[in-house]
Amino acid sequence: MIEIEAAGLTDIGRVRENNEDAYFIDEVNRFYLVADGMGGHQAGEIASGLVVATIQELLRTPPDDSEPYDHLLSPAANTLAALVRAANTAVYEKSREHEKYRGMGSTLAAVLYTDTTAIVANVGDSPVYLVRGQNIEPLSVTHTVAAELGRTHSAQLKNLSEKVQHMLTRAIGIEPEVVPDICELQCFHGDIFVLCSDGLSNKVSPPEIADIVTAAPPGVACRELVNLANQRGGEDNITVIILKITEPTFLRTWVHRVSALFKKAAGLFQANKNRNP
Amino acid sequence: MPILTMHFKDMDLGEYRIEKGGTLTIGRRETNTIVIDNLAVSGQHAKIDALDDGYLLTDLQSKNGTFVNDRMVTTHWLQPGDVITIGKHKLVFHLAEGEAAPPVRDQVEKTMVLDTNEYRAMVGKTSPTVATSGGEKKEPVAVLSFLKGGDGEVALSKKLVKIGKDDANDIVISGFLVGKTAATISKRPTGYFLSYVEGLTKPKVNGKPVKETVQLKEFDKIEIGSALLEFILKD
Repeated sequence: MIEIEAAGLTDIGRVRENNEDAYFIDEVNRFYLVADGMGGHQAGEIASGLVVATIQELLRTPPDDSEPYDHLLSPAANTLAALVRAANTAVYEKSREHEKYRGMGSTLAAVLYTDTTAIVANVGDSPVYLVRGQNIEPLSVTHTVAAELGRTHSAQLKNLSEKVQHMLTRAIGIEPEVVPDICELQCFHGDIFVLCSDGLSNKVSPPEIADIVTAAPPGVACRELVNLANQRGGEDNITVIILKITEPTFLRTWVHRVSALFKKAAGLFQANKNRNP
Repeated sequence: MPILTMHFKDMDLGEYRIEKGGTLTIGRRETNTIVIDNLAVSGQHAKIDALDDGYLLTDLQSKNGTFVNDRMVTTHWLQPGDVITIGKHKLVFHLAEGEAAPPVRDQVEKTMVLDTNEYRAMVGKTSPTVATSGGEKKEPVAVLSFLKGGDGEVALSKKLVKIGKDDANDIVISGFLVGKTAATISKRPTGYFLSYVEGLTKPKVNGKPVKETVQLKEFDKIEIGSALLEFILKD
């Protein structure tokens, strides 16, 4: 079992007139999300806000429909994939409702924790990093022309303008269906997960992020990272969530064990009752 | 001929000339024009091509990225005064005296999503393997091959493969001290990682007990309970 110390921060930056980023922290369900919206006339804000609102609502009242189940993923990862699909449908449908919403979309970077594992899902260019010891590694896959081409056809990159290179190849709400990249891993005490928008990752390199998040508690580190991105220009909105995995206290471990025992006992009792009506 | 001056913290670490028509490479490996011996720098990190119409910096899919004037770039046409950051080293691009400045090109503005069809057309119909929305890239398939304690091989197609004594695991292994779920193997963007989960004996990779997590390399030998498995990548 793990405990999570979480902090998040979003900042408009120093150039933009509105903040199209959104983030969401749900400590009960251990779900964390960063969304970076895009689209003119405030549509970007609508899109990222809708991603958050849709998922927030679903976490409160989980749907019991039979979504397409992917057997290569764990049950919790299937839940996460279903949340991403629901967010996509919500933004896609809204974008068709009104001319001013046409073409709006959002990125998504999310982490959902089970008792011992983390499940990471991403669409677009908002990264998720794992900092473990001195090391930092991406758990997300970047969906931009530059990143996708770089993996297969790097020689063609130089023919494309920077504008085209930075275009997203996947986003929430652009097409009727979206497939997130998902990864699942075992968590350990001391692990630090960082979710952010490209307003941070374009300005602060992974080793710098690792240095800052290991040196300060999550709340302080969020502020330091945002400040650094702003010092370097702050041309874009900046959003970051830092999640520090810690060991549960002795008391919490036992509360968890006892409540699990009760649940099991209640289940047995129920099963028994069903057998002997 | 333009020059690059290299700096680390307050120290000046020398000058490098960019030859006309040539290519200058930057990285940790000895074969580069500019060698930066630091773990934050990839073996082959970036290169600069001196082309007819300017100087093109390209990040070579480096682990920690290449930044110009504190902004991450994939490719960038260099302008005088540009500061390239690689790891914690900085390289400043200067023109030689009297040399004409290269043309200024368009800068990135707001994020946009590329139309899938537009993208396909741009990349060319000859490359259907390029990922479009939801498309799959060709990558090797990892398998575990039993050397002892079982037969055949198991493909690691799940994102998280569970190994242990319990029947609910993807790979069931016997052994007195083996945990219900002894270990997991996670497929991450940077590779496959084996983690210890529970049980009195820890899994071993190449004879060394794994306390938390270790990245698997091809032909690694994994020992869990009575089983010995080999990690293999198949094209």
